[in-house]
Order: sequence, then structure tokens, then C-alpha cells
Amino acid sequence: MRGRSAFLLILPAGLLFAVFVIYPLIRGIELSFTNAIGPSGGALVGFDNYVKMFQDPTMLRALLNTLVYTVVVVVVQNGVALFIAFWLFKLKRIRNFVRASLLLPAMMAFVAVGYLWSFIYSPLGGPLDLAMDALGLRSLEKIWLGDPQTALFAIAFVYIWMYTGYSATIFLANYLSIDPSQLEAAQLDGARGWKRFRLIDWSLLAPSMTINVTLSVIGSLRVFDLPFIMTRGGPNNATQTISLYIYNSSFTNFQFAYGTTLAVALLLLTVIVGVTQATLLRRREVDL
Amino acid sequence: MTTFPLTKTRPARRAQRTKQRVGTAVSSLLLIAFAALTMLPIYIMIAVSLKTGTAGETNPFGLPLDPQWQNYVNAFVNMHYLQSVANTLIITISTAVLTIFTASMAAWAIVRYTRRWTRTAYQIFVAGLTVPVFVVVTPLYQILQQLHLLDTYPGIVLAYTALTMPFAVFFFSGFLRAVPAELEEAAAVDGCNLFRTYWNIVLPLLRPATATLTIFIILQVWNDLILPLILLSSNDKQTVTLAVYATIGTHTFSTAQLLPTLVLGVIPLFVVFLVLQRYVVAGISVGAGK
Repeated sequence: MRGRSAFLLILPAGLLFAVFVIYPLIRGIELSFTNAIGPSGGALVGFDNYVKMFQDPTMLRALLNTLVYTVVVVVVQNGVALFIAFWLFKLKRIRNFVRASLLLPAMMAFVAVGYLWSFIYSPLGGPLDLAMDALGLRSLEKIWLGDPQTALFAIAFVYIWMYTGYSATIFLANYLSIDPSQLEAAQLDGARGWKRFRLIDWSLLAPSMTINVTLSVIGSLRVFDLPFIMTRGGPNNATQTISLYIYNSSFTNFQFAYGTTLAVALLLLTVIVGVTQATLLRRREVDL
Repeated sequence: MTTFPLTKTRPARRAQRTKQRVGTAVSSLLLIAFAALTMLPIYIMIAVSLKTGTAGETNPFGLPLDPQWQNYVNAFVNMHYLQSVANTLIITISTAVLTIFTASMAAWAIVRYTRRWTRTAYQIFVAGLTVPVFVVVTPLYQILQQLHLLDTYPGIVLAYTALTMPFAVFFFSGFLRAVPAELEEAAAVDGCNLFRTYWNIVLPLLRPATATLTIFIILQVWNDLILPLILLSSNDKQTVTLAVYATIGTHTFSTAQLLPTLVLGVIPLFVVFLVLQRYVVAGISVGAGK
């Protein structure tokens, strides 16, 4: 292949990517230094938007919520998924059936999931409260999405419901790719169950751990749809997230400049978290 | 007798085997119960969608013994369902075709022509994986407006294609790297030009990767709300997901109206999943298996 051919082959993809991703990215950074409202220009204002952002209680709340949500989702989702994969690995007969059932929620659109769970959590005839009534747990009932104490976790639970099967599928694929003799050797040495998991499986599962943690971190740092549908960020900003606040600033209040400032902050946050986590996980993969 | 030790261990071994079998049965049942619990919300969605409003709010768990098909007729009409499905198909297919051709060409050049600039190009593409859609969406709106592509199919298709490009290039490159270049070199020796080699050798070679990527694109486009919400404004261009949002967002809803809308919104992908389950699982497992 000659250089000119290579260039021509890369050109269409490169052009599309440059015009619709890189250029908007640069424009976005540029926009964050202006006071533009709505789609038209605006004057340069230096770092005003960034200063404003750090003093904006809504943004600080959104940042905190996003981080809490990310930690809860990453830990619970991957923990449960790993446990299920460990379990399913041994149960060949029901493996495909269980995997398919657990994957089904991940095939649904966030919008549909959001409305479905709003109904399930509803204090007026919602199935969750009806079930708790029937089990005699009425005293534990809350207005799940209306109580600042529970709203964010109620949404995190829905996300975990959607994607645990997805993560478990990835862990299971890793399990199935392990050379069985490695596990058998461990069994013969007396490492069974939890002990084998801790000594052997944990390190052999490093590749899927990297994939799963990366996917769940990226997915939950940009969480938008579920709070957008279920709570609109309420009550009292208890479920306000960075992406939701970007949307509200840019497309509800038409503060395009401030919205993109928040977006640049989200990009920086994603890059920092992403690089840190990739370094940690890769070092772990090498160590093991 | 020499058989004495054997007769002693046989019952013990049998007991152990029985114990193991009981253990397997119990954990199978527990796991099936967990799977059923996971699917319970989906069951509730379908069951309540076939009930009257009052029945749905008093007993969401029971089977819909008197199915209210009229609920579906209403939702079907309110969502402009056929139009929405057609719109989504147009956008999905165009995005898939455009992404597959452009990304596979780029990946082919990146993998087979290794120079510093192709490596840099690859790194720039892959860096795009970290860019959240919200970072680019506001300027993207402005650019499409300037190009008069706002609220058009080409506009949203180009946006989806560009946003999918990092993953597509990354995915095709990874796949091609694992394949020796011999076939392509032989074709070149036989006098195939660049285009013929790409068309007759590279594209067929990439078929499994293309299948997986297509599923990813289908999932992404069918389930996305953000881009249609921001880039498409006219009713006759809305996607299924946007139709779900627009229908529910503008009405005060009873369960008899809400849930059929949701079921109609998710059913196409459920069907895709059930038919192509093997490919979906393979696609999700990329990188963790084999």
C-alpha cells in the first residue's frame, strides 16, 4: 500500500471525525470563554465562566452527585456481576437462559426504563409499595424519587438493574476463556470455592475487570437520561448530575457558553478519572 | 478379600456425588429465582400494559386475564408508531452503512501502512472514545444549523457516524491486526487495484467484526434520546425513543396509556436480541473472551 492510497482510505473517516467531533470540541472550548447566549456569537470574557462554575452551588452539587452515583454503580454493579458470573460458570445447564434474562434490561432504552421505574416507584399504586404492603414492610416505604435521601440511590439501583447482566456477560466470557486445567489444578491443590476465587480466579479475571470498570465508570460519569426522565434533577437538586445540568444550561436556559464550560469540566473529569483508573488497572494486570 | 476397600469407598463416593448434585440444583434454583426477579419489572410492564387503568394500579402483578388490546391501538396511534419505526430504521441503516465503510477503510490503512502519521491518526481516533457526547453537542447544534442540516436525516446520521467512529476504527483495527496480510498481498500481486482488494478481500474478511459493530450501532441509535431530542424537531422525523418521550412527556398518563407506549418502544430491540442473541453476547464479550 502506498502512502497516497493510505491517505485516501483514511480521508473520509478522518474528515467526518474532524468536522463533527474535533471541530465541535475546539469550538466548545472556545465557546466556554465567551458569554454567548443562544446559537449566536458572544464576546470573550476570559475565565469568567470557569470562576462562576466553581462558585455555583448547583454545579458543586451535580459534581458530588455524579461522583457518589459513579462509586455506587461501579462497586455494586461489578460486585454483583462478578458473583453471578462465578456462580453461572459452574452451572452449564442454565447458563444461557440466565444470561439472556439478565441481559434483557440492557436492551431497553433509558427513556423506557426511566418511565417504567417511575411507575414502579410511584407512591400512588406503584408496584414496589404494593409489594412492600403485602410483605408487611409498610413502615419502610419512602417516596423513593421524592425523598432527597433516597432519590439518587433509587436511580442508581435502576442503572444497576439494567447493566449487571451486561457486566456479568463480560466476566463470564473471561471465565469461559480460561484454560480449564488451570482451575482443575487449583481444585486438586485444595483450593475450592471462595478460596480458589481469591487465589486464582481474581487474577485470571483481570482483563474483564478492566473492561467492566472502564465501561461502568464512563457510563455513570455521563449519566443523563435516567435523572432527566425520572426526577428532572429534583428534589432540591438531589439527583442533579453534570450532564443534566449541561443540558438544562444549554438547551433549557440557552446559556450555550456556560453549558459548554460545564461540558469541558466533564471532559476533564472523565479524562482524569479515566487515566488514573487505566493506570491502576493496567499496573494491576501487570503485577498479577 | 481384595474388593473390601472398594466396597467401603463406593457409598462414600456416591454420597459425595449426591451432595454435589443437590448443591448444583439448589444454586441453579436460586439463580433462576434471581433471573426471574430481574425480569419482574419487564413482566409488570407487559402485564399492566394490557389492563385497564384501575386494574393496573390496584393489582399490577396478576396476569392480564381480560387483555385490553385497545390500549395498544391508542398508543400505536399516539406515537405515530409506523412512521417512528421507519424513521429509526432509515437513521440506523444509514449510520451503520456509512460507519462500516469509512471506518473499515481507515482501519485497513492504519493497520497495513504503519508510518508515524497513521499511528497518530489512530491515536486521535481512539482519544475520541473518552469524549462525552455532551461536550460536543452544543457546538454540533450550531454547526449543523450553519450547514442547514438541523432537523434533517443527513445531519443526525453524520453526527452519529462521527461519534461512533472512534469505537469503529478501534474495533476494526484490533480485528485486522490479528489477521495476516497474505491474502491482500496475493490479490495485489494478481493485479487487483486498491478498490478491488478492499471490496473482494478486506470487507469479506471483516464480516464477523461488521456484524458485531452493526449490533452496537443498532443498540446505540435505537436507545439514544439526546441527539434526536436536540437535533430533530419536527414530529414526522422523530425516532421511536423520541416518540416514547414526546408522547408521555406531553400527556398526563394513566398506566393504560403509559405502559403500552413503553412496550411498543422496546419491543423491536427485544426481537432483535432474541433473534441475534448469539451475536449480541459475542459483541458484548469482545476483548474478554477467546
